[in-house]
Amino acid sequence: MRRGLRTRILGISGTLLVALILAFIVLPAFVVTLAAFNDRAILSFPPAKYSTRWFTRALTYRDFQTGLWNSLVVTAWASSIALAVGTGFAIALKRYAFRLKDTLEGVLLSPLIVPHFTIGLGLLVLATGLGAARGFAVVVVTHVIVVLPFVIRSVYISLQNIDERLELAAASLGARPGRVLTTITLPLLAPGLVSGWLFAAILSFNEFTASLFVTGQATQTLPVAMYGYVREFADPTLAAVSVIYIAVTAALLTVANTFLGLGKVLNVEQGR
Amino acid sequence: MRPAIRRRPFLPLFVTPAVLVAAAIVAAMAAILRYSLHAYVPGSLDVGGFTLENFADLTRPIVLRALRDTVLICFETALITLVVGYPVAYALVRTRSVLLKSVILVTAVTPLFLGEVVRTYAWTVVLGNTGFVNAMLRQVGLIERPIQFMFTELGVIVALVHVTLPVMVIMLAAALAHIDRDYERAAQSLGAGPVRAFLTVTLPLSMPGVVAGFTTAFAWTFSAFATPQVIGGGKVGVVSTLVYQLGLSSFNFPVAASLSLAGLVLALGTMWAVRRAARPFEAMGGH
Amino acid sequence: MLSKAVDLSPPANLPGTAPSPRPAPAVRLDGVVKRFGTVTALEETWLQVEQGEFLTLLGPSGCGKTTLLNLMAGFLEADAGEIFIGGDLVTATPPYERQIGIVFQNYALFPHMSVAKNVGYGLRMRGVGKREIAERVGQALDLVKLSGLADRSPRQLSGGQQQRVALARALVIRPKVLLLDEPFSALDKNLRGAMQVELKEIQRRLGVTTVFVTHDQGEALSMSDRIVVMSAGRIRQIGTPDQVYRHPQDRFVAGFIGDVNRLPARLEACAGERATVTIRDLRREVEAGALRDCAPGAAVDVFVRPDHLTLRPAGEPGTLPARVAALVYQGSHIDLHADLDLSATEGASAGGRVVVRMPGQGALATHAPGTEIGLLVPQAGLVAFPPEG
Repeated sequence: MRRGLRTRILGISGTLLVALILAFIVLPAFVVTLAAFNDRAILSFPPAKYSTRWFTRALTYRDFQTGLWNSLVVTAWASSIALAVGTGFAIALKRYAFRLKDTLEGVLLSPLIVPHFTIGLGLLVLATGLGAARGFAVVVVTHVIVVLPFVIRSVYISLQNIDERLELAAASLGARPGRVLTTITLPLLAPGLVSGWLFAAILSFNEFTASLFVTGQATQTLPVAMYGYVREFADPTLAAVSVIYIAVTAALLTVANTFLGLGKVLNVEQGR
Repeated sequence: MRPAIRRRPFLPLFVTPAVLVAAAIVAAMAAILRYSLHAYVPGSLDVGGFTLENFADLTRPIVLRALRDTVLICFETALITLVVGYPVAYALVRTRSVLLKSVILVTAVTPLFLGEVVRTYAWTVVLGNTGFVNAMLRQVGLIERPIQFMFTELGVIVALVHVTLPVMVIMLAAALAHIDRDYERAAQSLGAGPVRAFLTVTLPLSMPGVVAGFTTAFAWTFSAFATPQVIGGGKVGVVSTLVYQLGLSSFNFPVAASLSLAGLVLALGTMWAVRRAARPFEAMGGH
Repeated sequence: MLSKAVDLSPPANLPGTAPSPRPAPAVRLDGVVKRFGTVTALEETWLQVEQGEFLTLLGPSGCGKTTLLNLMAGFLEADAGEIFIGGDLVTATPPYERQIGIVFQNYALFPHMSVAKNVGYGLRMRGVGKREIAERVGQALDLVKLSGLADRSPRQLSGGQQQRVALARALVIRPKVLLLDEPFSALDKNLRGAMQVELKEIQRRLGVTTVFVTHDQGEALSMSDRIVVMSAGRIRQIGTPDQVYRHPQDRFVAGFIGDVNRLPARLEACAGERATVTIRDLRREVEAGALRDCAPGAAVDVFVRPDHLTLRPAGEPGTLPARVAALVYQGSHIDLHADLDLSATEGASAGGRVVVRMPGQGALATHAPGTEIGLLVPQAGLVAFPPEG
């Protein structure tokens, strides 16, 4: 009886603790949403009057418009290039032995621990040296470098779930390596490719620190434009942008979770 | 020489693009190294002759303090994130309800995909003097004057914990997911209560995830820029903000580069030291 | 049963239609060696698989049987030696040009293709026309009795059905050799027996040369024309099931094929094909074989099947004294485990555990553990080898 009671108390307090932490996680999103609908230009809680005028301003503000467009362009290029590069490399990593394999892997995964400001500064000085600073190319390259580790990881995990014997069976049935790739490996890899691309796209769209170094007035991405706004203005326009951001990201993730099983992609599914 | 069956079809096709990206990374690092070893010419992006002056510059008190504060802040953030993230990861892996699992997963992971700017801005709204927390506290009459969160280390750490929490949860959950539940059941069948079973079996087995989560949280915090810059407001100097000031405000690329390098070495060194110190614990996880 | 003309076999090896008295062997390995790093997975191996033969590679895991299969399939490259399939040198030929069919342990059905697409895959890779593919896929599915399931996904099939699909997929390309890699190990016991009979039937009807890899000696004995017993990367014996069961050529084969007891004994004399040994004080004749190099008086091991031992009352002359240790009920028979008293045999370990297989259940009542008994060792059916090492 005593043990039963103790277990129950433990269970309830555990649930409460987790609920509190989850509340901590969603608190900023909740507060920012409140702020976004506040009619006043100065922060105040609770809002006395609600309006959507900050959303209107956010959507018509020139820097945000160009920033959004730049972000979409950079994200589309960067995530697609990263997907192509990362898929090829993940296959080579999983299936082949080759010289300097470990070194190559180490360099490509290094952006996971090398601070983004270092990467940004490095590419800035490199581009300056090459006379290519402040162009779109260097922004795209920066984003490819930063999101590539996530694509490699995502595709690699998907590859692990493909039985190599399927490829051997195809070969024994007369499929040349190219046909094995197009008829067996890539179709089976499709969910991993989609989630890898989605990952890359979301991360690229949100990348800020490295972008801050390599973008200029003409190439600034949305996060950089938003950062510029925070430094100049204090009104809730940014809250409105944040709400749009949060809504789109949460929607994308819910879709990803429903169709692709986020747990599997993130490798947090219980084994048994 | 025996004729070889082609065992690595398309290897060049698969690897060449990756080599190009790796080359860009190496070139960027080499550029940083080159700049850090050359003299700063005021008013110009070009550099002067070879010098070690830039590294000598790093011994100025303001830089040394930033380096020290960065490591301390990263350390505290990683530790708090670990403590806060563990229960969430545990609940995520162990809950039997599919719906609850999805809710926890999406909730815990969404902030990962929200850029630093959005999250940092949101925290200024929460922590500001007229922000949510102060407004609420004032409303219930607990305080008369707002508590200063902005421009303090406490505010920066709270926001950084929020930033690194998703990664921590993912890494811990990945480790926990691979621990067979039967270990815990076996411990309980042998008379250990749920707490004892957790402390003696599950926690030790999850140590590799704990170490991985801690070091990753450390690296991410080290990399953070918008949070210390906006919430710290220049009062909390860290390496990233200093590099930005030197690089993009003063265009002193050489000193910025040398500070970047010093920061990188410091980050890698600390992570290496943490891994080393944690090795006996990590070994508990077996595998 | 198969009235329609189903031609899934290579044209040359229909029984009785062989064009020359001695066609090229279906598979020939000439001194093939395979190493992984410093480990030799397969020592120099010479082997011929005849046309239409059902040959089994039998051995424990790590014996090199799967390596051998992978070399035939072209999934691995030999470090030395040559491989011929149907008389053609294929040592350096990639798998997709070898024209071999393979059924994997887990069947390796393509999960993103229907049953019909799976079976037709090899034909599509060969650029066969759509109509012919449909026809041949239909025939192959008829052959494995899965005609109704062409549009199903492999995931919707039972284990046995999946195996049939895998078999149809391998056969439809009219392979020169059919390779089977432990195909029954994923099936439950009842289904396994039925599938073995059916596979053997199909194989015989098509006359397709088959190389079958297994660690299950029962499967090997029941299905094979010839068995290749392997261990530690070497071929130990090649022979018909009866040869390897009754006349094992070395200790390993004797111990691996079938249940067997080992009795410590002493070599008395070798004369021509026969040798005389004594077990305690019993004299028995065995094949001289492996004992030829032993000096009289040397310790040897005699191998005897559990069902060849007979129970006698304790102390009866001409029996070995033993004490019942345990009785294990096995349904159709009882396994009686007994400890031998070998104190009189010099150099033998103090005792030895033997198993006596007895039909019926009578022993359960009469031979409680602890009972003293006598064991009658048969005059024939014994083999002996020098001790290990």
